[in-house]
Parts: sequence; C-alpha cells; structure tokens
Amino acid sequence: ATLCFQAFLQMCNLPIRVICRANAEYMSPSGKLPFIHVGNQVVSELGPIVQFVKAKGHSLSDGLDEVQKAEMKAYMELVNNMLLTAELYLQWCDDVTVEEITHPRYGSPYPWPLNRILSYQKQWEVRKKMKAIGWAGKTLEQVLEDVDQCCHALSQRLGTQPYFFNKQPTELDALVFGHLFTILTTQLITDELSEKVKNYSNLTAFCRRIEQQYFEGQERDSAAIAAPSSKRSLLR
Amino acid sequence: MAAPMELSCWGGDWGLPSLHPESLTVMAYAKFSGAPLTVNTINKSWRTPKGDLPVLVSEDIVISQPAKILNFLRKQKYNADYDLSAKQGADTLAYIALLEEKLLPALLHTFWIEAENYCSVTKPWFASRIAFPLSLYLPGKMSREALNRILLTKGGPPLYSLTEVEAQIYRDAKECLNLLSKRLGTSQFFFGDTPTTLDAFVFGFLAPIYKVCFPRVHLQEHLKQLPNLCRFCDDILTCYFRLTVSGHSPAGQDTADANLQKLTQLVNKESNLIEKMDDNLRKSPQHPPHKLTTLKLAAGGEESSPMSRLSP
Repeated sequence: ATLCFQAFLQMCNLPIRVICRANAEYMSPSGKLPFIHVGNQVVSELGPIVQFVKAKGHSLSDGLDEVQKAEMKAYMELVNNMLLTAELYLQWCDDVTVEEITHPRYGSPYPWPLNRILSYQKQWEVRKKMKAIGWAGKTLEQVLEDVDQCCHALSQRLGTQPYFFNKQPTELDALVFGHLFTILTTQLITDELSEKVKNYSNLTAFCRRIEQQYFEGQERDSAAIAAPSSKRSLLR
Repeated sequence: MAAPMELSCWGGDWGLPSLHPESLTVMAYAKFSGAPLTVNTINKSWRTPKGDLPVLVSEDIVISQPAKILNFLRKQKYNADYDLSAKQGADTLAYIALLEEKLLPALLHTFWIEAENYCSVTKPWFASRIAFPLSLYLPGKMSREALNRILLTKGGPPLYSLTEVEAQIYRDAKECLNLLSKRLGTSQFFFGDTPTTLDAFVFGFLAPIYKVCFPRVHLQEHLKQLPNLCRFCDDILTCYFRLTVSGHSPAGQDTADANLQKLTQLVNKESNLIEKMDDNLRKSPQHPPHKLTTLKLAAGGEESSPMSRLSP
C-alpha cells in the first residue's frame, strides 16, 4: 500500500522522503499505513491523500470524462476488494505463511512476549473481518482463483496501452502498480500468487515500466518500506 | 439443462419479486438468461432457511452465494454475457466490486440498522415469513451480522462513532449511485440493448432501495433524483417480471390502457384547439394592423380557455 501512494506522488512530481518507523501504525491518525506528514498536517490512507493532493492543486485524473472517472473508481474498488483482501488473507489466514513469515515479521520490532501478543491480536482482527465479508470459508485455491480473475480483468482492461487510461497515469495505475509489485517481489512460502500475476505479461511489463520511469535512481534503502520484508527489484 | 433447478429465496412485496438484494440478483439473471428456475419463497413452513439465502438446488448440488449460483448457471449454458467483449467482462467485475464496497453497506444500514426502518418494516416483514420461534431470533441475528460487517469494514479509526460511519457510508452510496447513473447514461442496459450480469446485480441492489416504503428514506430520495436509474428498474420489472410499476399484473394492464386512453383524449383535445386557432387566424383579415389580429386571437383564446380549464 505504501508503494501505491509513493508511485502516485512520484507521478504527481511531488518530492517525498520515506521514513520507516516501528510505531508507524500508532502515529497514523487512522491507524493505517501509509500516512504523510506535510507541514503540520497528517493525512493517512490513499483516498484522503489523493483528495489532499488534489486540494493542493495536483490531480492525475482531470483529463478523464465522467464515465471514465466512474470506471476508474470501479476498478479501484475491484483492486481493493480482491487484491488487498487476498493479500491480507494470505498473510494472516494461511497457517503456514502466518507461522513462518508474518508473525516474525510483524513482531520483530518488539521484545518477547509483546511480539507474539500483538501479532496474535492483529491476526484475530483480520480473521474477524474475513468472516464478516464471507472470506473465512474460502480455501487458498479459491482465493488464488479470485486473484486470477482480478488479474485477468485488469489485464483485459489494460490491453496494449501504456497506462489504464491511455497516455496519462492515474490513481488507478499507482494503486495497481503498488499491489502487483508487492505481490511480485515479496517472498512467501510458495510462489503461487506471484505466478498468477506473471501469467499476464502485459501486467508485468506495466510494473516494470512504472518502476523504470518513476523509481529509477532512488537508492535501495529508500525503496525499502515500513514493514521490513525482502524485496527484489523486478529488473534483476 | 435437463435437471430441474430450484431456487429458495426471500419473497417480495411492494411490487418486487423479492426484497433481498442477492435473491433479486439471481432471479433477474435467471430471467435474463432464460434459465428455467422454480422459485420457492420462504414462508412459515418448518423448512427454515439454513445459512444464507438464496440457495440453488439442482439434483444433489447445493450452491449458496449469488456469484457461485451465476457461475453454475453459466456452466449449464444459461449465459447472459455471451455477447460481451473481454473488456466489458472486466468492467462487469469492477462495477460489481464498486456496488459491494460502496452501496451494500448503506443498503444494509437502511434495512437492518436504522432503528425506525428496522422496527417498523424490516423486522415484522421477515418475522412474518419465518416460523416461530425462529422468527424471534433470526431477524435479530441478521441485523447483528449487518452491523458487524459495516463496523468491521468501514468503522476503523478515524471514524469512531456509529453516526460518523453512517454519514460516511451514505456519502459513499450516493456517490456510487451518481457514478452508476453516469455510466448508464441514456442506454437501456449497461452494455447496450440486452441485459447482462451487471444489470442483474445493479437491479438487485437498486430495486429494494427504490421500491420498499421505509420511514427513513434519504437514499431513496437521492435515487429518485436519478431518473435513468429509476427507469432502468421499472423497465426490468415490466419486461422481465411482468409486474407493472403499481405491482399488480392484470389490473396493471388495465390501468395502463386507461392511461393510454386518457393521453389520447388529451392529445385530441389539444389538436382540436390548435385547429380552432388556425381557423380563427385564417378568417381574420390580413392587412389591417397587428392589433385586429391580436383581438381575433384573444377572442379565439377566450373560446378555447373554458376548454383548457376542463382538461386536467
């Protein structure tokens, strides 16, 4: 998610400095990452940040007509609905991944037993949410199938264009890039999720293009984001 | 195709075949794709609804969520999306996600959480269709599940109180309705002239908001300001469910005929009026100045005004 809006800000040509903090979740006004700190204002989550940036006079979607804006919003919801939920599911509801990767990673800034308590608490929260929206009953295969369907839809929509709405990048491009790049470069137990995405060559080309255009020249350190996880560049 | 398919779902009222958005979506899709479904509405029998409705039963297969039911129907060759391009298929998925994220919370809230609506309309309606003593428990459970879902998905900080969450979800819902209206524009269905999966989902979500008479109706009022969406719902109801806007089948046809007759009479009256005015104009002499003609017209106007007072 952090990557989504880093991409967005780069696309708006706004300079940013990325800082990793262990207590970032608590500093954020909504408890969610990422958040930006501008002057004496703090804004979190992609939606409000986009509006904030728009109010300051930078917007990526001004060139779209009403129907296109409706489409863009719909696709953003699709990405949030499917990809984000699938990522959460994989991180917190798949037992193997939870044990080997998520618990250690999430609890790493804290001493024992706080690391275990906090990560169990978060897991319990996420599982409650999955149950409320009906994802608790899904198996891993079903989740992967949903991700595949979502990627298929995104791939169809992108087609052979450079960006989703042809020549100019929009918030949707930033959002999709953020999620897909995370999926492609985060190491998990199995590579099934990233394999699903790699099946769609135009999506991987899209990610590579945005990475080259907007993130080249940045040091590896500043590209490492709040939650420490091993990331490999797509270019290698 | 050969196996009979039975759909169990919640029944309808206020001119709708079902009050439940998901049941309505499946019923609409079945009509669009021509699938022969026998619809069983839940009544007070002891075959209580287990788990979520709607449920499709075909031979030994039991399927419960709308998306899965629609997939099953497509595999049985009842496909309403046959003519869609791949991009339109992708758009369908995206818009359905939009509906679920932005419109569904407000719909759930209007039905199950808004106190006045719940106590005076929703709870009695559902309780009357469930056998005792489950009728004491099940509506409450559905209400709690709805509240849970809304709070878990929308209620994180910085929205701390239920009223703030409510304000946010209604804002989202109104924005969603506006977006749908813009996308629909003036076409009959979302992808041209034949209805598809997306039309079924939109209809399923919109029709309950549009038709059910609640005491607290600000979402309905917003919807009524978007005439193309209202027309969309009415069209589907009249064409596919053979219920007119008033909700009665044969009587409705008569009302429609009566309305048509009245309209024809009005049009005839107007054309008679116009003919009379034409005659007056022709009779009046041409070269006398403007004033005379106006006088004649006024005389003609006086003659015609008693008639115009008669017509509604």
